[in-house]
Amino acid sequence: MSVLACALSLAIAIAPRGEGDAPSRAQPWSPRTIELAGSLAVQEGGRVKPASTFARFALLRISGGQSLESVRGESLSPVEWLLDVMLYPEDAAREKVFLVQDSDAVAAIGLDVRDKKKRDRWSYEELQPGMPRLFTLAHDYDAIPEKERGSVQGQVVLLAGNVMTFLRLARELDPVREGAAAPIDTGVFACIPPDVPIARAEAWATTTELATKAQRSPEDTAILASLAALVSRRADPAAFETELSAFSGRLAARAHARGEGAKIALERFYYASHVIGWSLAAFLASFLVACVLWLRPTSRSIHAALFALVAAGVLLLVGAIAVRCVIRGRPPVSTLYESVLFVTAVGGILALFLESIHRNRIAVSAASVLGVIGLFIANGYETLDKQDTMPSLVAVLDTNFWLATHVTAITIGYSAGLLAALLASVYLVAKLVGFRRADPSFGRSLARMVYGVLCFAVIFSTVGTILGGIWANESWGRFWGWDPKENGALLIVISQLAILHARMSGWLREHGICTAAALGGTVIAFSWWGVNLLGVGLHSYGFTSGVHTALWSYYWTQWSVVALGGIAWRRAIARREPVATQAARLRQPNRTESGQAA
Amino acid sequence: MRASLERALRALSSLRLACVLLLFLGLLTWLGTLEQVTSGLYDVQKKYFESFVLVHHAGPVPIPLPGANLVLSLLFVNLLVGGMLRLRKGVATLGVLVAHVGIAVLLVGAFVKHRFSDEGHVTLYEGQRSATFQSYFLWEIAILEDLGSGRVREHLIPNGRLEEALGSGRVRIAPSGLPFDVEVSRFLRNCAPRREGADANAVDGVVLEERPAHTEAEQNIAGVAIEIVDEKDGMRRQALLWGAESRPLVVTVAGKPWAITLRHEEYPMPFSVALDRFTKEDHPRIDMPKSFASDVTVTENGSSRPVRISMNAPLRSQGFVVYQASWGPAGAGPGTPLYSTLAVVRNPADRLPLAGCIVIAIGLVAHFARKLFRYVRVEGRTA
Repeated sequence: MSVLACALSLAIAIAPRGEGDAPSRAQPWSPRTIELAGSLAVQEGGRVKPASTFARFALLRISGGQSLESVRGESLSPVEWLLDVMLYPEDAAREKVFLVQDSDAVAAIGLDVRDKKKRDRWSYEELQPGMPRLFTLAHDYDAIPEKERGSVQGQVVLLAGNVMTFLRLARELDPVREGAAAPIDTGVFACIPPDVPIARAEAWATTTELATKAQRSPEDTAILASLAALVSRRADPAAFETELSAFSGRLAARAHARGEGAKIALERFYYASHVIGWSLAAFLASFLVACVLWLRPTSRSIHAALFALVAAGVLLLVGAIAVRCVIRGRPPVSTLYESVLFVTAVGGILALFLESIHRNRIAVSAASVLGVIGLFIANGYETLDKQDTMPSLVAVLDTNFWLATHVTAITIGYSAGLLAALLASVYLVAKLVGFRRADPSFGRSLARMVYGVLCFAVIFSTVGTILGGIWANESWGRFWGWDPKENGALLIVISQLAILHARMSGWLREHGICTAAALGGTVIAFSWWGVNLLGVGLHSYGFTSGVHTALWSYYWTQWSVVALGGIAWRRAIARREPVATQAARLRQPNRTESGQAA
Repeated sequence: MRASLERALRALSSLRLACVLLLFLGLLTWLGTLEQVTSGLYDVQKKYFESFVLVHHAGPVPIPLPGANLVLSLLFVNLLVGGMLRLRKGVATLGVLVAHVGIAVLLVGAFVKHRFSDEGHVTLYEGQRSATFQSYFLWEIAILEDLGSGRVREHLIPNGRLEEALGSGRVRIAPSGLPFDVEVSRFLRNCAPRREGADANAVDGVVLEERPAHTEAEQNIAGVAIEIVDEKDGMRRQALLWGAESRPLVVTVAGKPWAITLRHEEYPMPFSVALDRFTKEDHPRIDMPKSFASDVTVTENGSSRPVRISMNAPLRSQGFVVYQASWGPAGAGPGTPLYSTLAVVRNPADRLPLAGCIVIAIGLVAHFARKLFRYVRVEGRTA
């Protein structure tokens, strides 16, 4: 059956009926029910995860949010929404859940959009009359390469995909629902582990797959009966809860026998604790404290409070990363999302280390800014990407040794380079506004800090890049293939080496180092995000326009800072500020230290 | 004389030259990355990274630039003279010296790989065996001589000679041991045959029509016009060869049949590989490969052994490395027999990057650890 035909027959199945045809949910789902349902293990995207994670990302994809304001005025969590969709599809069809960025997409399927905002949420019931047209159009537009699709075309394809997910979930329990039509789709909620050892079967089953299985064991039949009981007792909270408890017990026992689902509780804890959110809160608080500190620079207690808050943010983040490592059994970075968390954490640790040496407030304030920006980017990326942030990896990436060495080293290099760029920008802006002009040791110490961080960065960038080549040599048979991501890494190494050599040759001094380091930030941004937007090569992970905007904002910020720094420099020369003597001072220790080298 | 030599040496070994060269290398890398959006990797690589000079077109403005070959060669000299020979030796510079040695090892490795390696693939269905591998890009004309009793001798005209016949070039080749010469002309990197009796280049009413090169160069199908010249009989025979033809051209010269074919360059391996089983595993309930592996039997010096080649775990033997590269046919349904494509590389410098990386890491860590120690001490005193 074609996707189109399948979609249409799915759509017909829950055509809205008249009021009162199907009973509505009379009271909210009990906390115990939500807990039990959220803890069910589901296999999706190649891994076993809690149903709460499944629901979280499904709702995020469909509605763009992490909770839902129901038509009855309740605030529904993803798990409650999922329970509604599967057990009260008629209720769920009335919830305004489908986010459409541009109402033209809905107009294109022949619906009236006058009462709606341009960006608005629609219910399935509202969209239902446009279904045949939606799937026909989506079918046509799907044939157009993603890059060439217009905005409305892209929206239509996206909406059709979301409606499909909704319909599949709504019909998920049809095989055990009395009077339902025969299932035409295998479903998506694969919560039933096979009753054989893990070596003999990997794929878990959906309700339909279990119901249509050729040879069912007695246990299989019991699971189906349990599902049927869940459907028929949905209106009786106490009975439903008991049944759900028994059902989840049966499934957990099967998963346990196969050694699967052991990390469900930990993943539930990870999301329920909102650890990333708390880390962001700590960084935000630290940012406020930092602002106060710069107004009252001499206060030791505010300085201590700032340090403690940043340290708390970093610790929470490190904890989050560690928990993710345990859940997936992988090194810290295997996706772009994780690289953001890791870069933020490493940047924070480095800055705290610098602060503990210098105690000049700059590094710790930088860490605060870095933490806020980093975690905003992480959250923004998760919302844009709308995919599970702990996904399965393709064969070539699925190797812990290289993820642990190459990826970790490269990412530490990114982090240090970006921190250097941030500190260098502080230097340039300070020069521009004439901050602490009377105290040359301020700029000198800041420039030394930038240089120190760059030295740290160059080790990890260089070694990380070469390790990447060695990995490529192990898996593709070539050390270097001029792939965009490889080139990006090489650009970082080259730029950092050029800065260090230019400093040794005397070309770059205090101001020059900082200018170059600030520009080095754009090289890192290009390598980290920019090359992925080119859409070519082996490391191209997909395109998001939000990333594009953020990236160019960063480029322009750095370029502006450098240009303004240039103005400050010219002004300083004009004022006959002794740049030359300043430079001589800067170079003095090195001359005695090592002459040409170092 | 001596003074100017000294000056030249100083310039060649200077830190400033190192900076300029690094910046040029960065510029080339950046341009070569951006150009991959519109051109194929193969062409970009040839233009920016395997050239001595090139012209980059920034819109309508042509900008001449040094190619990466030139920049890297100069960088190597600069590194050798400035970064190693003339570097002041002492405890302070030991780490730098070591790191520079590591970079030099890397560059040597790159040079050896560039000049002395062959790469290609061997594609096998289960049950097949091969002792040769094929280039992805390079072509050759193979002339097969029947030695009787099923034995065949191959006479080859390599890619390098064919490229002399690109455009309007015409090359006469006299392979040793053949009773005839071969004149090669109109070598086309990517082309397709078309019926066209009226064309001046037509042979038997067919011409090879040039096609724009694919961005993925391995998809190009080359073609060439040849003329068999037998001076003794005064015989000349024209023919077209096309890379995708299934059957060779057969001509009879000196009373003997000769089969002639245009194919990807083939190289022998010092061992043979037989594919026993290819396994492709997907992540459950999702169309994403989890692992590929080829179980092969390697026969080498008369003895056989089973080897499993999988992603990130190649087979290394006698300077050759065999990798799991890909599989096919694309979109094969369940039950369709799959083939496994193994990439084969003969690279004498295969292990140099690893050695270089370790040396560089040691050098950098030693150098910057020392700096960090001093830095902390100095800053700690001033704070």
